[in-house]
Parts: sequence; C-alpha cells; structure tokens
Amino acid sequence: MKERHTDISSLKVSNLSKDYGAVQVLRDVSFDLAGDVSVAITGPSGSGKSTLLHIIGTLEKPTDGQVAINDTNPFSLSEPELARYRNTVIGFVFQGHLLLPQYSVLENVLVPTFAFEQRSGATERAHELIDRVGLTDRISHRPGELSGGECQRVAIARALINQPGILLCDEPTGNLDTTTSETIADLLFELHNVEQNMLIVVTHNLELASRFQKHLQLAAGMCKVD
Amino acid sequence: MRLRQLKESFKYFWQIHLTVALCTAVATGVLAGALIVGDSVRGSLRNLTTERLGTIQHALLADHFFQPDLLNRQNMVPAISLNGTVVAPQTQTRASKVNVLGVTERFFTFWQTETAPNLNKPTEQTFNSIVINEALQSELNVQVGDTLLVNIPQVADIHPEFILGTRDASEAIQSLRLLVSGIVPTENAGRFSLRAHQNLPHNAFIALPVLQKALGQSDKVNALFTSETAPISPDELVLSLEALDLNIQAHERHFDLQTEQYLLKPVLSETALTVAVRNGIPTLPTLTYLANTISANGKTVPYSTIVALRTNEGTFAELLNGHTTEAERLAYQEAYDQELERRIPEIAEAQKKLDEQLDRISEEVNALAETRAKLKNKAAYKQRLDEVKIALAEVKSKLDPLHARSKLREIVLNAWAAADLGVKVGEQIEITYYRVGSQEEYITETASFLLKGILPIEGIAADRGIVPTFPGIHDTADMSEWESPFPIDYSLIRNKDEEYWDEYGATPKAFISLETGKRLWQNRFGDLTTLRMSAAPDTGVSETRALFETEFLKEIKPEQIGFQYLSLQSDGLQASTGATDFGMLFGSLSAFIIIAVALLVGMLFRIGVEQRSREIGILQAIGYPLVKIRRRFLYEGGIITLIGSLLGCLFAVGYAQLMIFGLKTWWLPAIGTPFMELHVSPWSLLSGVLISLAVVLISIRVTVHKLGRTSAVSLLAGGTDFVDARTTGRPKTRKRVPFLLLYALLGIVMAVWLGPPVIRLLCVALTIIGIGYTVFDRWLKSQRVSEQLSRIKFAIKNAARQPGRSTTCVTTISIACCIIVAVGANRHDAPPETEYAFVAESALPLHHNLNTPDGRFELGFSDNNSELLSASEIISFRVLPGEDVSCLNLYQPQKPQILGASDAMLNEFPWRKLKLEYDGAGRVTAIGDVKSLRWILHHDPSDDFFLQDEFGKTLRLELETVEGSLFQSQLIISESNFVKYFPSQSGYQFFLIKTPPVLREETAQALEKTLGDYGFDLTAASARLASYRAVENTYISTFQSLGGLGVLLGTFGLALVLFRNIIERRGELATLRAFGFQRRLLSRMLFLESCFLLSIGMFIGIVAGLAAILASQGHLPSFPWFSLTITLLFIFGFGIIANAVAVAVALRSPLLSTLKSE
Repeated sequence: MKERHTDISSLKVSNLSKDYGAVQVLRDVSFDLAGDVSVAITGPSGSGKSTLLHIIGTLEKPTDGQVAINDTNPFSLSEPELARYRNTVIGFVFQGHLLLPQYSVLENVLVPTFAFEQRSGATERAHELIDRVGLTDRISHRPGELSGGECQRVAIARALINQPGILLCDEPTGNLDTTTSETIADLLFELHNVEQNMLIVVTHNLELASRFQKHLQLAAGMCKVD
Repeated sequence: MRLRQLKESFKYFWQIHLTVALCTAVATGVLAGALIVGDSVRGSLRNLTTERLGTIQHALLADHFFQPDLLNRQNMVPAISLNGTVVAPQTQTRASKVNVLGVTERFFTFWQTETAPNLNKPTEQTFNSIVINEALQSELNVQVGDTLLVNIPQVADIHPEFILGTRDASEAIQSLRLLVSGIVPTENAGRFSLRAHQNLPHNAFIALPVLQKALGQSDKVNALFTSETAPISPDELVLSLEALDLNIQAHERHFDLQTEQYLLKPVLSETALTVAVRNGIPTLPTLTYLANTISANGKTVPYSTIVALRTNEGTFAELLNGHTTEAERLAYQEAYDQELERRIPEIAEAQKKLDEQLDRISEEVNALAETRAKLKNKAAYKQRLDEVKIALAEVKSKLDPLHARSKLREIVLNAWAAADLGVKVGEQIEITYYRVGSQEEYITETASFLLKGILPIEGIAADRGIVPTFPGIHDTADMSEWESPFPIDYSLIRNKDEEYWDEYGATPKAFISLETGKRLWQNRFGDLTTLRMSAAPDTGVSETRALFETEFLKEIKPEQIGFQYLSLQSDGLQASTGATDFGMLFGSLSAFIIIAVALLVGMLFRIGVEQRSREIGILQAIGYPLVKIRRRFLYEGGIITLIGSLLGCLFAVGYAQLMIFGLKTWWLPAIGTPFMELHVSPWSLLSGVLISLAVVLISIRVTVHKLGRTSAVSLLAGGTDFVDARTTGRPKTRKRVPFLLLYALLGIVMAVWLGPPVIRLLCVALTIIGIGYTVFDRWLKSQRVSEQLSRIKFAIKNAARQPGRSTTCVTTISIACCIIVAVGANRHDAPPETEYAFVAESALPLHHNLNTPDGRFELGFSDNNSELLSASEIISFRVLPGEDVSCLNLYQPQKPQILGASDAMLNEFPWRKLKLEYDGAGRVTAIGDVKSLRWILHHDPSDDFFLQDEFGKTLRLELETVEGSLFQSQLIISESNFVKYFPSQSGYQFFLIKTPPVLREETAQALEKTLGDYGFDLTAASARLASYRAVENTYISTFQSLGGLGVLLGTFGLALVLFRNIIERRGELATLRAFGFQRRLLSRMLFLESCFLLSIGMFIGIVAGLAAILASQGHLPSFPWFSLTITLLFIFGFGIIANAVAVAVALRSPLLSTLKSE
C-alpha cells in the first residue's frame, strides 16, 4: 500500500449555511481544524450534526459559506474529481453500518478500492485492517452472520482502506449497546492514533465526546467550538 | 375487517398486485389461447367438412361403373366422379387434378342453400354445358361462354396393361369439348370433394347423361350418395353377374362363365371354383392365350389361340386317348426321355451356380453373425443384413423357373396345325407369344414343347365357345382385318390361315396343361379365361346354373370387387380433428411459458411480501398466528390471480386471434389456405384458467410458506431478508449434491425410457435447466472469499444479493432460450438439395416408358423432344389414390396414398429394402417419411402399418423410414408388390426426373406440352422439398414466437428484479457513492450484473436446447447457426436494452440523499 494520497493539514469551515427549503439547518458555522485532530460534534436532534458531516464529506453542498480542506474548496471540483476526492481523502462510517450483504467481510472492506484503479497492496491493507479491528477469524463471513458491533468494525475498516486523511463517523455507536459502543470508540481512537488522520465523529454521547481533542457543539444550526 | 384489509392492501401495493395479475393473465392467455388455436383449427376443418359434403352422409364408390339400382335403397343420388384435366384453348391454360363430376340436379340438393346450376344444353348451344367452380375459373382464367376441353380416362373393359388392353394415348384419354355455362362459388357444392384437404378443389360439373354417353357407360355410375344417416350395408347391394362384369354362355350340356375383361379376376374365379366344388358341379377351368407363332420343322403357323386346360382328365383326356395310338405313345415317351437327358446337364449346371450363390450368402450370413458384436454401427449391420436377405430373395426367385425348366412341357395340336407344320407325336414344337413387360412394353417370349398328341377338330377341340371374345379380333371376317392393341405382322398370315379363320374362327389350334398355361400366361389380372361348368349330378344345366349363380353371388363380398362404402360425413368429421393437434402443440410449448410465468409470479409475489415485512413482523408481534398471516396472503394472491386469470381469458381470445391471423398471413405455409376462423370453446377457456390458476397459486403458496422462516424481530427491524443472502447463511451444499444427481438420473432415465423423441427432448431440456438452476443457485450462495477481487467479479457478486430472484430470472431466460434453440435447430435455412430436377404427377396414367424412344413415340413426343428427353432419366411410380400424409394436409389422413416404385428406384439403399420379401402373403416392405408417419399419421415407425388391398384383405406394411425426402406425402412399396396387391391400378402417375441443369427448362416444356392432356404437372424437386420445409419452418417460427414471448417475460422479470434491487439497495448504492463511486460506474456495475444473469440464463438455455436436440434426434441436425445466432444476439440485445432502461430509471433520483434517511 502506498502512502496516503493527501495528508490533511487544515480543514477550514467558514460561514457555512445550509437550507432545505424554508428550513435552515446550519447558520453561519465556522471553525478551523488542523492536522490529525480528533473532533466530536454533538448537539440535539435536528441541530444539523449529520448535515455538517455530510457537507464536510462533500456528500452535500452548502447553501452558503465555504469548506476548505488544505485550502482547497472541494466543491469547486468536477463531479469525477469530487468522486475521486471522496474516495481518497475521506472515509465514512455511518450509524447503520451499510455493509453490502452479499459480500464477505474482506470484500466489504475492499469495496472502496474498486471505485477507481485499485492500488497495489489493497488486499494486504484490508487484511491488516481486519486484523486490527479483530475480525480475522470472521474474514469470510457475511454481514448477516455478524453482530452489530462486528458490522460496525467492518465499516470502520472499510472507511480506512484507502487511508483517508479525514475519517467521518456519523453516530457510529448509535445502534450499539454501551459495552460495544465503548469497544468501538476505543477502536476508533486506536486507529486514529495509528493512521494519524483527522477524526470527526457525530455523537449524542457526551461521555464519548469528552474523549476527543476538540468538541463542536451545534444548537439551532449554530456552532460553538470547545 | 378482512375485506377492508384486503382493500387497503390492494390500494397500497397496487403496482406489485397489478404486475402479478398481469403475469397470471399472460399465463392464462397463452395456455387458453393455445387451446383456442387448437379449437379453431378443428372447428374450421369441421366447417370445411360440412361445407364440402353438405348433407351427404354416406357414399358407395366403385373402381368401375355399375347400375345405380344395384343399391337397394331409395333416395340415392347417382354421380360419376373422375379425375381429369381441363384445358382452356382460348387462354392456353390448363388445370390438372380436376374433379370431373357427372351429376344431376339432385346432387345440389345436398346443399340446402344451393340453387342447382343449369347443366343442360340449350338447343341453340353447339357443345354440351359445363359448370366450374371459381377456383377452377381462376386457374384457367375463363368466363361463361368459353369452351373447355375436358380430358378424362377412357373406360375399357380390358385392363390397359393386359396384352389385349388399349394403351394408345389416343384411346386412353377421352376428350370432351364443353361450353362453360356457369361458374359457382368455391363453397358448398363448389367445394365438394371426396378427399379431405384444406386446399380448394377444382370442380367441373357436367350433366350425368352427357358424361355417361361420352364414356359409353349408359345409365351407369361409379358413385352413389345419400343424406340418410343409416350407413350403407353390404347386404343392401344386389349383386348380379352383370354388375361383376361376368356373363354366362349357356350350352346344351354345360355353361361357361366368362368376362368382358377377358381374364376372370382371381377373386371371382377362385370363388366360382369353390362354389362349384362345394355344390358338386363339375368344372373345366381354361386359360386361352394368343400365340404369335407355333413353329416346328422350320414351318410356322401364325396367330393361333392356345387353350390351357386339365389335359389329363375329363373329356379332353378321353378325346386324346381315343386319338393316340400306342406307337405314338411310345414315340412320345422316347422323345420325352431323350429331352430330359439332354436337359439334365444344363439344369444341373444352372442349379450348381445357384447353389454356389446360396453358399456364398450363407457364408455372408455366418460372417455377419460373427462380426455383429464388432459392428458398433447398428444401421450398417442392418443394411448388410438386408443386402444378404435381398440377395437370397433374388437367388430364390431364380430357383422356381429353374425347377419349372426341369419339367418338360407337352402340347397337343389339332390336326390342322399338325398337318400344316408336318409334325408327328414326340417332335419339338416352339411357340412365341407376347408378354407385357414391367414398363408395359410387348416382349416376345418363346416356349418349347414336346408334341404329345394330335386331335381332330371335334368335341372340345372344335369348341370355339371355350375361347372368350378377343376384342378387335373375334368378330372380323378375315385375319387381315384384325385390329389388335398389340403389333401384328400381317405378312405372316397365309391364305390357309384365312381359310382356317373362315371355317373355324378362333377355335384353338393347340392345347397345353393348365399348369403350364398358368406358368406362361397368368398375370395379376387373372389366370383363367373361362370356367366351364357341367350339370350337377341328377340336375339339368339350367338348374345347376341357377344354383351356381345364387350361391356364387352370395359368396362375393362387394369390397372384394372394388366397391367401397364410405361414411363420408363421419369420416370427414373424424379427420377434421386434424393431423396436427395445434392445441396440444401450442399448449405443450406454452407449458414452458407457464413455468416461466409461475416462476415470475412467485418472484413478484415474494417481492410484494418482502415489501411488507414490517407489517408481517407487527402482525406476528401482536399475536397473529403465522397460519392466519399466511392465509391472508394466500387470499390476496388468490383474488389477484383470479382477476388475472379472468383477464387472461380476454387475452387468450386476443392471443388466439393473433395466432390465427399469423396462420392466415405470416405462417400461411403451415396451413396452405387461409381458411381458419376463430372458434372459442368455453372448456378451453376454463382449462386455461384452472391450469394457470393452479400453477400460479402453487407458486404463491410456496412463497407464502417461507414466511415462517424469519423471526418477527428481524421482520420488525425492516428486514426484507426472509429469503435473501443476509440470512441464507452457508449453503447446504451436501444436500444439493444428491439433488443434482437425482436430476441427472431422472433426466437420463426419462429420456431413455420415455421413448418418443418429443418426450426425450422435454426431459433432457427440463433436466438440464433444473441442473443449471441448482448449480447456479448453489454457486450464488456458496461464493467463497476471493483474494483477487476485480471490479467485474465485484459486480457479478451482486447477483448473490437476492439469490432467489437471480435464479428465477436466469431460469426464465434459460427456458425461453432453450425453446428457441431446440426449435430453431430444426429450421432449414439452406435451400433443399436433391439429385432430381423435377417431381411430376399426371392426372391420368401413362402407359408407356418415357425412357425409351418407342415409349416416347407412343406418347406423342416429337423426334426433337424425344432426343431431348433421352438426356434425362425418368423414374416412374404407380399410384394408389389416397390421402396426402405430409404436413401439407391438415386433416388426419386415414388412407395414405401408396406409390409403387419401379426397379430403377430400387438400386440403392434404403430403396433396395423394398425388395425384401417375407414368407407368406399380405406382408411387404414399405418406406415412409419418418416425420409424416410420426406426426401426421400418428404412427410409430417401428410398428407395422396395416391397410386393405384391392381384394379387401389386410396388407401389412413393414416400415422402413427416410427423412426429408421427396416422399413425404406417400408410402412407397415396390412395383412388383403394388401390382400384386392393387392389380387394377394401371399406369404410372408419379415421376422423378433427373435432368442435366442446362436442359431443365427445355425438358420441362417438352414434357408439359406433350403430356398436357394427361395433366402432367412438373414441380421443381427442390421447390417440392422447400414446400415441406416451409411448413416445418413455419411451425418453427410459431414456436419461436412462443419462445420470444418467454424471452419477453424473462427480460421483463430481469428488468423488474434489477429495478427492485436498485430501489432496495439505494442505501448501499449511496454508501458506494460516499466512497467515491461515480454514478456512471454504479450504472455500469448494475448493468454488468444483469448482463451476467442474462448470459448465464442464455448459456443454460442454449446448452439445454442443444442437449435436448441431441437426445431426441441422436445428432445435431444441419444447424442453422446463422439465424440462430442472430436470434440469440437479438435476445441478448433486447435484454441489455431492457436492463439499461431499468438501471437508468432506477438511478434517476439522487442517491446521496438516501443516506440521510438511512
């Protein structure tokens, strides 16, 4: 596996707003993040946490304001460039793991490598990640044969397969029990330390949020950085 | 409550319910539609039959003319029915195979709506009238007022192929010039035909008296028709000697039974002898023949009658003994011994040669027996065995004449002939006489005798009454005035011969034994010319005669002498059930479609149930028993499918209409004429509804039954996974293996044991598809983790997400492709090849050999045309009229046309097999086309075929088969067997012609022009084959269209599955987008997945189709690779487009927004 495509030196969000028709979800959100920081985004339901995460992940465009990653506005890229950008710079972990049921653990982890020319060493990297998330003995299992926590671990491994500079997690422990949630959180931090990437996690769990280096609190679309 | 729930269900899930209902409608429509097509063919043929026959119920037909009052029944309508040709001089057109019907006005009353056309000749009209039907008018392009020449066979007492028969072209055909006085539509009487065929007949009606007069058959007819429902019984026929063409010449002390036909028919002479013996009537059977010469000592007596009779008994023996001296007896005995001694070495030498041949054959038989095990090719072994059998038969046939030669023949001359020749008892006498050869040529034969005695012209030796009438000879004043059909060398006739003629007429000059006479002169027409009977003991001649007549007529069965009782109406209706059961044909192929629909409906219903997994989970959670939930879904399914089935009835009628339209237009070659009309039977609709309903409900039941496999918790969690990959887990591989073996075993067993090729085809096809299904299903569920995943593999693996859906689509497509391949493999794209240039048929029989200059001269060919024809080889066949047994006839034939193949045809296999002989009478080898036998006559080619010979006896045909030959319309036997069992059929009416390509056009013109009066019609042999193939190809097209429907369903299912999968996988697809997959890449992957399923389905279908063909036919036929490849590519292309559309539509809405809802 080659080195990471893009090391993230900065993520700058300036005056970001997002409307869905008459509903304003985000209002004038601004913050700066640097390097391999870990960030928790918290807030009540409907405060725009996931929307903010999706905008950072370039899944959605802001109504107003700017996102600059390494001083580059990803939304200025063409659709194919943006897809490649997402593939190489950003990794996603969703609340529902969204694994593909027809594939095994290994295949699910490898899924992002098929979006473009597969880099050499992808399979070795997948094995390594699966080993790290502790699922080597389940490598040929399908999602239907795994527990929720195991599925989420696969989702984390999948998100990291292309060594993204930013790992975005949308309530990764939302569907899990307390013990499993803690295990997953430990895993995220462990991998964050190893991968040295920027980790942004949306969560309701304030205890978990307290373990992050930075804490963004969203309320009524406004942002407060601790 | 339940109703409300159902209503709500239908309201919310109307799309899926509608799709299920439509699929059920398709199943019902296809099945009931197929049955309706069958109804329509049968109904239309039935209508044609009733239109063709009107109210005619029964008919009495004969191969000769008879008095109508022969049948003791009122209200019989007399008619003459002949096959003829009609020429229109004005338009230079000609029509052959015309039904020339001599009728009265009563004939038209069989069609109650019919106004009888006027057949009578107005006084101012020069020629008699003829009324033709529109079909004939169209062929001849004539109008009322035009004249027509009608050629019909001349009626003669003596068979044209007997030596005394007339074969001259000018005398064999009777031509009538008639004026067209009316044209009737080709319906009702205009459609009348004795033969069931859907093609339009060419009918010409002539006033009965006019035709009777022209034929010299005053007051006689050859057909009687009745509308009474009671069948004609043999007892109703009041036979008389006259009706049998017999006459009795009464004399003072005896009476002679003779016939105008010269030779007494074997059946009549045998019966007469039996009756006479049984009643104690002394008999003297005789056979009189005309010798061309009687020679001895270099002297010759020309043209003498010789009588063969029992020389060693009765009055003749007495007479001979009385006039033979002891010295003469000794002289004869001495000459006899010397001659025998002279012949012994010659005969022994010939016997030795034959013995050697027999030894060689025995060795061959032994060698064959030894090598049998080594010969893997059974056909080759059988052919060698047949060769040996034929060789044996040929040697045996030479043995009898050899044995005959070992017996010396004796002759008795009358005093006049002996004196003329200057011979004494014991001297050699040689006679020459004519024999009619196999090509109806006169062959001069020679026979030598030892003179046993000399009789004075007295007693029986002076009895000219024993000699029947020689037509053209008997009543002439001088021999030089003889008008015989055979050539006479008048230069041989001397004054003394004329003097003998003047004094003694046809009084025989020589006598030989009956045994010798029969050996020399008997032929298929008989072996006696006169049966002389004397008064029975203690009775007078007249009483004996009366006794004989009564007893004799009681013994004769009308069917033995050419009478046929036909139940035209019931036979016609029976035949209208059709040679090909279109209903079953389309229905059996529709079975594939039904299976495909059942799979599709099951899958659709499953999708519908999966959509409602939460609902099911909730119902379970609140305490609904699973049985109730299942029942609820079954109710829903039942109502939907019932609605679909009822809708399918409409679709069935439309589908049948479309098929009938197709059969009347695009596929017209399959039925010949566009006669079909829609006939809808409620039973067909009901059957279609019930069968499709049952199949679809079973499919739904299976789906609903699977409901219990998923826990309520999983269902509540929104899982639609009660049958998908997420819970299927590891495949039960071990359980699948026995299933595979079972499939394979079942397929093999059924294919081997269930004999008929169509069953083998179905078994193998379904087995391969079953195996394909199982293997693919197993593969989908057992895909192992691949370390080397490629994007293609990645895409293909998506097919395993919903294995059930994928296998259903694959199976549906494979079924459709299997139909297309299995059916399409039989299509013949290449133009048919044959060594023959033409096939020809003549309406009137030809009695001369077209291959010899003499024969061509007799038939009227000019020198140039005769020279032209010498470059061609023409093989002639005798024809026993019967029904066309090829695929060109839609009716179920009951009496096939029989051809008698001349020796020229019997040189090569398989035709040589016709020379095979069997012990005992009534058994011959016949060759038929395997498809005609199997599909049209519905006869297993490995079984013997039985028919009636001319004498009403059963004739057993040992069948050999050919395939794709020019003989798909007939059964073929050897000419020698033909004339043996159908002796009264005369001449040749079917011909195969080999002509160099450059001369074809000229040859065709020469033949048609010269033989036009015979109705000689030429067809290019390749065109004839093409017409058969056109029917096959048309059937194939119709079946392929059913396969196409299957493809449509399969592709529809595939597109639907793809669409549904995409909808269900929107979250997954959005995730992929989140990981950088572009929309184009996702489309490509989804597209690849569906193409993979399409390819697998097509692959399984193609393999199944090819294997099925191989199993049913034993080999792959000359494969129409091009058309089949094009068809399959078209299917693939169609599938790709359908999938591309499904992908495009499903991916139209933004995917990423889905992540939010997820």
